[in-house]
Amino acid sequence: MDKHPLRRWFDLKGWRALLIGVPYLWLILFFLLPFLIVVVMSVATNTPTAPPFSIGGEHPWVNLGPFSRVFTDSLYLRAFMTSVLNAALTAMLCLLIGYPMALALTRVSRGWRTILLMLVILPFWTSFLLRVYAWMGLMGKNSWFNGLLTDSWNFLVPLDWAVKSVPLMNTNFAVVLVMVYTYLPFMILPLYASLERLDPTLDEAAMDLGSRPHQVFWDVTLPQSIPGIVAGGMLVFIPAAGELVIPTLVGNASQPMIGKIIQDEFGQARDWPMASAVAVALLVLMVIPTMLYSHYQARAEGSK
Amino acid sequence: MSEPFLRIDRVSKHFGTFQAVQDVTLDIAKGEIFGLLGGSGCGKTTLLRMLAGFEEPTAGRIFLDGRDMAGVPPWERPVHMMFQSYALFPHMTVEKNIAYGLKHERALTRTQRADRVAEMLDLVQLTAFAGRKPHQISGGQRQRVALARALARQPKLLLLDEPLAALDKKLREHTQFELMSIQERTGVTFIVVTHDQEEAMTLSDRIAVMDRGQVMQVGTPTEIYEFPASRFVAGFIGSVNSFDATVLSRSADGLRLDVPALGGEVTARDVPAAVPGQGVTLAIRPEKLRITKDRPEGGNAVAGQVKDLAYFGKDSLYRIALPGALVQAHAVNARRGDEGARVADWDDTVWVAFDPSAAIVLVD
Repeated sequence: MDKHPLRRWFDLKGWRALLIGVPYLWLILFFLLPFLIVVVMSVATNTPTAPPFSIGGEHPWVNLGPFSRVFTDSLYLRAFMTSVLNAALTAMLCLLIGYPMALALTRVSRGWRTILLMLVILPFWTSFLLRVYAWMGLMGKNSWFNGLLTDSWNFLVPLDWAVKSVPLMNTNFAVVLVMVYTYLPFMILPLYASLERLDPTLDEAAMDLGSRPHQVFWDVTLPQSIPGIVAGGMLVFIPAAGELVIPTLVGNASQPMIGKIIQDEFGQARDWPMASAVAVALLVLMVIPTMLYSHYQARAEGSK
Repeated sequence: MSEPFLRIDRVSKHFGTFQAVQDVTLDIAKGEIFGLLGGSGCGKTTLLRMLAGFEEPTAGRIFLDGRDMAGVPPWERPVHMMFQSYALFPHMTVEKNIAYGLKHERALTRTQRADRVAEMLDLVQLTAFAGRKPHQISGGQRQRVALARALARQPKLLLLDEPLAALDKKLREHTQFELMSIQERTGVTFIVVTHDQEEAMTLSDRIAVMDRGQVMQVGTPTEIYEFPASRFVAGFIGSVNSFDATVLSRSADGLRLDVPALGGEVTARDVPAAVPGQGVTLAIRPEKLRITKDRPEGGNAVAGQVKDLAYFGKDSLYRIALPGALVQAHAVNARRGDEGARVADWDDTVWVAFDPSAAIVLVD
């Protein structure tokens, strides 16, 4: 009794191929293909048509104009700078706040750990927009929060420095503050995952060999948690650099981040090639450090 | 009498209602290899952790070289530990691991430190592996790195937690002798925690057998094996045949016992604590039983039937059914041959004999 060849193929390796194939197909269809369209668009020419670009015909096949503007026009350069600085500052602050929290998570009892981990994830259960609006409410001139800050400021500084209200809304500071708040769990969770794996007897071994607890942290805990720091840093830095909603809602319009620029180029300016060029440049900017990291990571793993 | 090098004075440790260590008193001499032997949960590791400073005793005190160790944190104790898992720092090379403790030795210059590390690498024969990371070397090599790291600061006391447990049998035997020779060369006092009686017997100068937080007996390996003080120690160290017995009489010749399991009277060496009429335990090691085909002259002898035998090559283990008990006897296969090597075969009727001095009489 011979099975159908297709049936045999399925039994042998079909399921395996299917299981591996589906995610790849998904990535190709919904990531690689759209990205290629964006890349093609970025070298097209802006035309008053619908869609507002064309390739070939009377125009040159490849128009590098948008890319040269990305690297020369101060509007884009400043926006890139703002994005990278804000994202780096956010990642740094998330690390400083998140590290002690992640470390504490590994040191508390099992019951507390579950509760605290739940609290870290809890904000995701409410709408992201709602949480940003809540911050807008808090930072606004007439809120109790701003009032409290204003009163404390006025109490602490000389009279001629007194203010009516602390300017929080529509500042770069507000952008970083809300981004830190939003992305903190993305720092805590990978840090917790890497710290939780560490062997506590290594701490004891270091103490036994003469190190005080703070030295144990610098010598043993911190170096071993570098993969967690890098993972958390990238999980915060990459989305923060491309963040659109937070700077739009609480940020300073005269100091835009790159996400806002892309939106404006696509929307108001209807310059799709320009928007695509900025998007591709942003992606390359984000991908290079990631690739460098995985390259070194792979080399470190390879030497194991 | 001079102060012992390490004095553990009536030390107890409770975790909540659990008594991990109860009223342990031990004196350990300088340069000794002292074994702490016991099953899991007997308190040996807790005692070790109190010596290292990771746990504070609930009661009692520990004196090292005359200094009270109460409240001294682990990083200030001249005591280093070799962990069961070795606890090598995975992100540091072998050399950095060994050098780790030395960075706290402020008095040393950079070259002195490097010299000490080189000396330690040489001691454990790992000079060629100095630049490797712990995951790049074998289990036996890791064990030696852990030893070198713990010895680098020249501790007064080295604690070894199951030092050989993670090694395979062949390597374990080799490492045992290596440990002993390193101890001899460095002169550091070793305390070795182990659940393996053979390991404790070969390594240690003296052994403390622990059970449920208490020290049951302290003595040299020979004392512990040949003269166990209690049923627990007799049963824990090596295997033993034990029988209920009643003391019939005491005399200069020895003790006369009634042992129902052996079908009658048995003589043993005199035990001062025994009182006629008292119920005691008679214990005999399997290798101290002689098996013969014919009834031997004098001494204690009981007839039985071979029920089972296991051939190990150099010796054989026999299970012999006596009137009221099944005993184990070990006999060396001194002759060479096909069948003749064994003293007896399945279902043979044999005589089991033992000297009065071979019988251990346990009063408690």
